[in-house]
Amino acid sequence: MSRALGGLLVVDLTVEFWGSLAGAMLGDFGASVVRIDALGAPEPQRDDEPAPAWNHRAELVHRNKASLAVDLMSERGRDIVRVLASKADVVLTDRPRAQLQTLGFDYESLAALRADLIYARGSGFGPEGPDRDLPALDELAAARTGMMPILPQPGQPPVYPGHGQMYTTIMLAFGIMAALHHRRRTGEGQQVDTSLLAGNMYGASLDLQAFLAIGGERFLHPISRLDAGNPMSGTVYMSEDGLWVTLTMPDTDRWWPEFAPLVGLDVVDPRFDSHEKRCGEHRLEMMRVLEQAFRTRPAAHWRQVFLEKQLSADVIEDYAFPAADPQVYRNRYIVALEHPSLGAVKTLGFPIFMSDSPARLFRTAPCRGQHSFEVLHDVLGYGEDDITALRDEGTIA
Amino acid sequence: MSALEGIRVVDLTVWFQGPVAAQHLADFGAEVIHVERPKSGDQGRGVRSIKALPVGDWNQYFLVINRNKKSMALDLKTQAGRDIMYRLIEHSDVFLSNLTSDNLEAWQLTHDKLAAVNSRLVYATTTGYGHYGTTKKPSFDMTVQALTGIMSRLGEPEEPPIYLGMGSGDAYGGLMAAFAILLALHQREATGKGQMIDASLYGAQLFLAAPTLQAYLATGSTRYSRQQSRTAPANPLWNTYPTKDRWVFLCVPNGAEGWKRLCRSLGAAAPATDPRFDTAKKRRENATALVALLDEVLRGQDAAEWLRRWREAGLAASLVANLAELAEDRQAWDNDYLMKTHCDEVSREVTIRGLPVRLSKTPGSVRSLGPELGQDTELILFETLGYSWDEIADLKAKGAIP
Repeated sequence: MSRALGGLLVVDLTVEFWGSLAGAMLGDFGASVVRIDALGAPEPQRDDEPAPAWNHRAELVHRNKASLAVDLMSERGRDIVRVLASKADVVLTDRPRAQLQTLGFDYESLAALRADLIYARGSGFGPEGPDRDLPALDELAAARTGMMPILPQPGQPPVYPGHGQMYTTIMLAFGIMAALHHRRRTGEGQQVDTSLLAGNMYGASLDLQAFLAIGGERFLHPISRLDAGNPMSGTVYMSEDGLWVTLTMPDTDRWWPEFAPLVGLDVVDPRFDSHEKRCGEHRLEMMRVLEQAFRTRPAAHWRQVFLEKQLSADVIEDYAFPAADPQVYRNRYIVALEHPSLGAVKTLGFPIFMSDSPARLFRTAPCRGQHSFEVLHDVLGYGEDDITALRDEGTIA
Repeated sequence: MSALEGIRVVDLTVWFQGPVAAQHLADFGAEVIHVERPKSGDQGRGVRSIKALPVGDWNQYFLVINRNKKSMALDLKTQAGRDIMYRLIEHSDVFLSNLTSDNLEAWQLTHDKLAAVNSRLVYATTTGYGHYGTTKKPSFDMTVQALTGIMSRLGEPEEPPIYLGMGSGDAYGGLMAAFAILLALHQREATGKGQMIDASLYGAQLFLAAPTLQAYLATGSTRYSRQQSRTAPANPLWNTYPTKDRWVFLCVPNGAEGWKRLCRSLGAAAPATDPRFDTAKKRRENATALVALLDEVLRGQDAAEWLRRWREAGLAASLVANLAELAEDRQAWDNDYLMKTHCDEVSREVTIRGLPVRLSKTPGSVRSLGPELGQDTELILFETLGYSWDEIADLKAKGAIP
């Protein structure tokens, strides 16, 4: 089986979860990703948890990478990175602009060494505008995006969902691929830019666009779950055992004949016998009826009947469900792997299927500097003595 | 020049996840042909409003998702319609669909069939639950999001689970598919052959949950899978807080320096010397008491005043904005994340979500909003596929095109 990105050299100058993961996405498809681990600078750690026995975040975001540990405070160390970048197809970073300039890792400096370089950078708020240098924190971007106040029920605190950064990850990878496509035909490299604000906004696509076109207070304040626009779509109801079910049957006429009897309603009940009545004059009444109906049976019952009738509805699970779902493992969305000291562990797998060049785990996340020798020797052509000298003087590790 | 100029995409998709995948390609200049049923087209054309709102005067849902595309109306239930599709496939680089596999089989549009017509074709699907496996049920964004577990962990304990927003998972699946298609096009340069790709809604949404799902898989801890109250955070300095008028998000690392600066910004009410909070460890252990105290103190001033003080103190924080504020946010406009474009339906400029990814030399663009149903059918038949006008008349008579 071939590698979709075989032969592609990526220099990974990232420090954030979402930025590093973009590099891993390229590594998953066979790119050679060399991660630059700055000597003496710890990974940014902001949630004060005791360090887990297994650094599961690093395992995910640095898989399929080689690690070159370099002292970025020394000119000689920075030079090594610049020489590596001059041989690379792609430089990927999520570091602040000022820092990149100080290090000499900004686009202008590196493109001077390699004109057709593709230089991808993710930031907090985009390359333009007055707030372009705010810290690249997903929380700040999410707060700015306008969805946090309307996710919860009325009267509840705003909710930070935490997924906005994940759009940014794939946007970086997508942008790099688009730029590679252009370079292949024209020989021209360029800069790729995206941000956490862009990711969060794209994640809010449909709500945001509807607000931009229609406006109105209904988008600015939370709506009670029992005041949904359509009782059969986008709604949640509690079942007998406390688990919740959710329905998405927007075109209710299509589903009504199968659905009505399941919740104890007559298909010809004059209150609910048309889409207009269900979503119009009897909308709130119907939600009250459904609220009571769903509480009479446990979630397992509802899953069973939804499946039998092939309705667009399901039980709202927690992470224990996918962690045990054979469908998930069959598609390698979660994979089990053998950890040298911990034994069998589970980690997120590969969201994309490719028939001829599938994503693979070529290697688990490297220790810092694990491939310093290999990169200097094989990629940059350093002799063994030079490498030893660099190691002795502390430029690399 | 556009980055993806010269790539032709047959976009046989409906609703959101499939169409938006092709939209990303169209934004960067790929020629995307949205193939639709002659009668009413893509079902997404019927979604004019959400949340029981009055319907807007332009069809914002369909027109933005399908911007920069052509539309071709084909009746794929007829053999003549399928023959047109095969000829289109001969002339295309990518086939993209989110129809069910049963549907694609019935219309003889399986991978085997289309790869036989064009071996260079990238055959892309956005399924509900993945290329492999036995799960077979309808897949809409929210019902699949429910399965992933991502909804159950949000909100205060005992509150209902929380949906991440309309189409949030579809949007991710679509983006994944666009990335996967470019991977396959890249690979085709080396092998000369197309292949099959899939980015499912389930797979994408599990990846969307990565920041907490990965932690859950590693630890099994319900801390990552169940609702956690904002009154018991891991770091009380990194939390949402109410002020006199609005909510703010404060993002301060729980170290000595952050604590010192925060206390200074709080003025007279500062708990700087409170022995319950004088080390990072104590602040973590007494988080609930500290949140209660900060709730009280921060209610003493407007959000604007606190944000001013924190900016001066070099502390990261933001107003928890609403969509109306985002719509006015200069940062979004300066980076083209929001844009204006002409809408033929209402003959005026409208505001749309813009271009989240920027390529400096070959930027994306919005050249047109979504097409009218079948507006390009005849021109594509004539110019791209080489049908004569007589043949086109014959195809009409056979009901293959409207």
